[in-house]
Amino acid sequence: MSTRSRVLLGAVGYLLVAILLGVLFGNQGKNEQFKPQDEFKLDPWISLKIGSIDLSVNRAVFYLLLASGLTIGTMVWISRHMQQKPNRVQTAVEVAYDLTRRNITGGNLEQSMAVKWFPFLATLFFYIWFSNVIGFVPLPTNTENEIHIFGLAVPTFAIYAATANISIPLALTLVVWISYNVEGIRAKGFVGYFKSWLPPGLEDMNPIGKALIFVIEVISHLVRLISLSVRLFANILAGHLLLLFMGGGLAVLLGLAALGALTFPMAFAFFVFELGLVATLQAFIFATLTAIYLGGATAESH
Amino acid sequence: MADLLIPLAQASTDLTPITDAGKAIALGVGAGLGSIGAGIGIGIIFGKEIESVARQPEMKDELQAIRWLGFALTEAVAFYTFIFGLIAFFLA
Repeated sequence: MSTRSRVLLGAVGYLLVAILLGVLFGNQGKNEQFKPQDEFKLDPWISLKIGSIDLSVNRAVFYLLLASGLTIGTMVWISRHMQQKPNRVQTAVEVAYDLTRRNITGGNLEQSMAVKWFPFLATLFFYIWFSNVIGFVPLPTNTENEIHIFGLAVPTFAIYAATANISIPLALTLVVWISYNVEGIRAKGFVGYFKSWLPPGLEDMNPIGKALIFVIEVISHLVRLISLSVRLFANILAGHLLLLFMGGGLAVLLGLAALGALTFPMAFAFFVFELGLVATLQAFIFATLTAIYLGGATAESH
Repeated sequence: MADLLIPLAQASTDLTPITDAGKAIALGVGAGLGSIGAGIGIGIIFGKEIESVARQPEMKDELQAIRWLGFALTEAVAFYTFIFGLIAFFLA
């Protein structure tokens, strides 16, 4: 049998499975009970409230702790167990370390700044990378639906990422935003720093035009708060939503079993795409943009 | 004209279906139109990169880092529209 006929046969068989499912189960109508947004709901596990501030420990906090623990644990363990002839894990970590040192920090910052800010940037990269990656490992964290094994309530397995919640990227972005502004003020002085927001080549311009451009620059600096946080948040949230819908959520929501057969293989493709590209790329982008902002705030010429 | 307007006026007493439809349109059309722009942008980035590598193959490694930066920055634009669509759909 030639490859072509095998591929054709596979496709026909696959379509037949979808049609069979469609005939057997048909259209069961729209499912009103299943709410996709509940997959991202945060149930308080340990209630902690100080005044009106809710500090409850929930799923996102668990993922944060896990990511921090993994970041610290991996790096400390690798640095304690350095070998002359690196094994696989050490090689991988060395490649990532080299990326943060040479590419992210060295490529965007001057020498003195690079030495000062390398630990921060590398930590950001590894922390976001670990948060993204553990978001694709199914963990028993879904307390919304519990399964009972011998009378013991066990939370069902679910995927969730701390970075798919706007609070965490926003908190990281605030740290970055404040630190690059403070660093710029330290390097150039308070007035000098805000003067440096104006692009060069405007010396002959009248003050009104300069003021207008300064307003635009102020807006662009404020928009960085939104763009940096929403970029990470939206990428991870969209990835998880896509996995949820492709992996059966759409079929359940619409009550069409045949659709599930068609979308399920897409879930595998998107899983590989999200885990292989987006998780690393978003961590890389966040750290690189932080380095670019820090470099832009302290560079002599704008 | 009046024939067309009477059903609309009757429907307007109960606005829930119209609001729901508006939300669905906001999510679908918003995210869809946003994806067009980002799709064109990503196409241009990769196309230009291929052109550049074909012209100067020794620059390949340097271009690779810039390509991923451009890709992620452009791709994020599609997700901004998607997030605002989701906000319109679930929170508005």
